[in-house]
This record gives sequence, C-alpha cells and structure tokens, in this order.
Amino acid sequence: MDQPAGYLHAGFILISWPNLFLIGIMLVIFALALLLPFPGHAADDQTEKKS
Amino acid sequence: MMAQRSAGQGDQRGIRTVPYDLVRELAIAAAVSLVLILALAVAFSSPDVPSVTIQSWSKSDPVDFVTTANDELAGASATANYGPPYNNGSNAVQSIGPVSPQAWGGVHATVDQPHDFVINPLKQAAGNDSKLGDDVNVYESASAGQRAKWHDAYADALQKATVDGSQLTVATGDYGPVPEMLNRLLQLAQTGALDGLLISSNHFYQTDYTKPLLFMNDGGYLAGLAGDQHLTGSQWGMMNETGLYPGQTWLWLYTLWYQLPPFNTAWASVTDLLVVLMMVVLTLLLALVPFVPGLRDIPRWIPVYRLIWRRYYREA
Repeated sequence: MDQPAGYLHAGFILISWPNLFLIGIMLVIFALALLLPFPGHAADDQTEKKS
Repeated sequence: MMAQRSAGQGDQRGIRTVPYDLVRELAIAAAVSLVLILALAVAFSSPDVPSVTIQSWSKSDPVDFVTTANDELAGASATANYGPPYNNGSNAVQSIGPVSPQAWGGVHATVDQPHDFVINPLKQAAGNDSKLGDDVNVYESASAGQRAKWHDAYADALQKATVDGSQLTVATGDYGPVPEMLNRLLQLAQTGALDGLLISSNHFYQTDYTKPLLFMNDGGYLAGLAGDQHLTGSQWGMMNETGLYPGQTWLWLYTLWYQLPPFNTAWASVTDLLVVLMMVVLTLLLALVPFVPGLRDIPRWIPVYRLIWRRYYREA
C-alpha cells in the first residue's frame, strides 16, 4: 500500500485511481440507496393486508 | 421514531405518512460502518510514510540544506519576506481591496529566521566549541554590507558544490566565517540535534513544529517530495494521500478552484483569499437554498424524491 498510486490526468483534472475508485463506490451506494426497497416495507405490506 | 400506530401507511391530517424507525436505521448504519472500518484497518492498515525532518533533509540533500540556511542568514528566503503572522514582510500577504484578514491578524507568532534557524542553535552548540563561538562573533560584528557580500559569494559557490558522503566541498573564496558556521549547522542537523533545538519551547509538550516546517519549506527538498506524491496545491493535493490510499475526496470543491484560470493565473497572488471567499458564498447559498429562486426548484426539475417514494407515487 505504500507504493505510489497511479493518476488519471485529463485536462485540468488530476485524480488518483484510489480516489476515483472510492468516488465510484460512493456513487454505487447512492444508486443502491435510491433503487433498493426500504427494508421492512414488504413485511409492512403483509401486515396491512392481514389487517 | 416509530409512529404511535400500527405499521404501514397511514393518514394524518390528509397527508399520507409512512412509519420509519430512524433510530434502528442509524444503529444498523453505525454497526455496519464500525465493522467495515475495523475490517479495512486490519486489511490495509494506514499510511505510514516516515516524517520529513531537518535530519532527513540535511542527510538526503546537504547542498539544498546549506543553501537554504545561507538564504535564511541573508534574509533572502521565503520566510524572511513572508509577512504576518511571522514578520512584517509582505510577499505572502493577500488582500482584495480593504479585505486582508492576514494583515488584520498581525504578527503574533514571530519568527526571526537568521537567529531562530541558524545563529541561536550555533550559539548553543558553541558552548563546547570556542572556535565556533569566535566565528559567530565575527559574523555578528561584521557590517550588513560585508555579510551580504559573503552570502552572495557563498550562494554562487554552492551552485557548484560537491558532496562527499555528508561533507560539502565548495570552491575557495571570500565567504568570511559563513562556511564554517553552516558546516557546523549541517553537522548539527545531520545528528538530529537541530530538530530538537528548533522545536524547543517553554511548554511541557514540544509540539510546535512551526520553525522546522518553515525552514524546510524554504528549501527545495520538501517541495520536491510533495510534488512526487501529488500533494501540492496545483496537483489537487488537498484530495490526495500518500501511497495507494484514497485521500480526502470531499475536499474536491475547495481544491478545484486552484486548478482553474483565472484563480491560478491572473489572480494567483490572492488565490487563497479568493477561494475562502468563494467557499463562504457557496456555503451561504447552500444554507439559503429554500429562499433562492431557481435553486429551490431543482428538486422539482430533477424529481429524485419520486424515485425514493416511488411506491407512494405509484399508488397516489
């Protein structure tokens, strides 16, 4: 882990691959948070239907 | 908090609501984060690049060290002309019209670089070295003009200096006592004694690294290391970390301005102040989003909330 990181250089943007990887993971988690159903809602539906 | 009614959607004052246990969500998120942090720490540890010290600098690049010390004595270093909070210089003072927070703060952490970095440490070392004491006396009793001639000549000679092990070889010339003084300072630095002398204070804990950092920053060695690791301001350095570790990605907006013209061209002399003001304005805009026409309409234009509450909108 102490080896120097690689960098993506595009125009004025200079970003390390580890930073880019981390930002990618954050975007994926954000997308999952939007798309995955709220936990417990399926159970709520069942309760609602029974009552 | 769980609403005080049965689970499932409800109706309160004509508005449909959904119960949600926020405390449970926070507890689960905290537990998952803790497990992840511990697992990643065990797997990858943390950045552990050795500290850069006066000792490591003087051993790795003795010519740069002695050249910088010569500049400190001559008053030609960046620190010598920096300005508040260290001295009354003006080179680093940033002002936009009447706005000059650095000057408002005044000189409150005085650094007298010839004495703090060079002469005082040498005087302390001269306790057991009468020759060194004599050299310092000769230097201090010389006129300012004479000292400037010695420093200029020695600075020129240092450009062609050679290094043999830890010894510096410079062409002979009229440098007064400067070479003897700076060679002794180099010895002090290479043994690590100068690191200790520069952080000595009257406090119980010696944690004030202002002087060694300013001294190192005046040379080229520290800047070279920072550049190699992409840590300088023009390299988005605020965001970066040493090694293969991800850095402070959340600082992207702060460092972005340093990469863009005119911040890094026509306005380069006041970039720090401009970036601070820019971030103040943007933070105010963020805080005042509900009152800013256009900004407050973005959720209506990009209705992400309809995706989050899609079941509600499907049924509504």
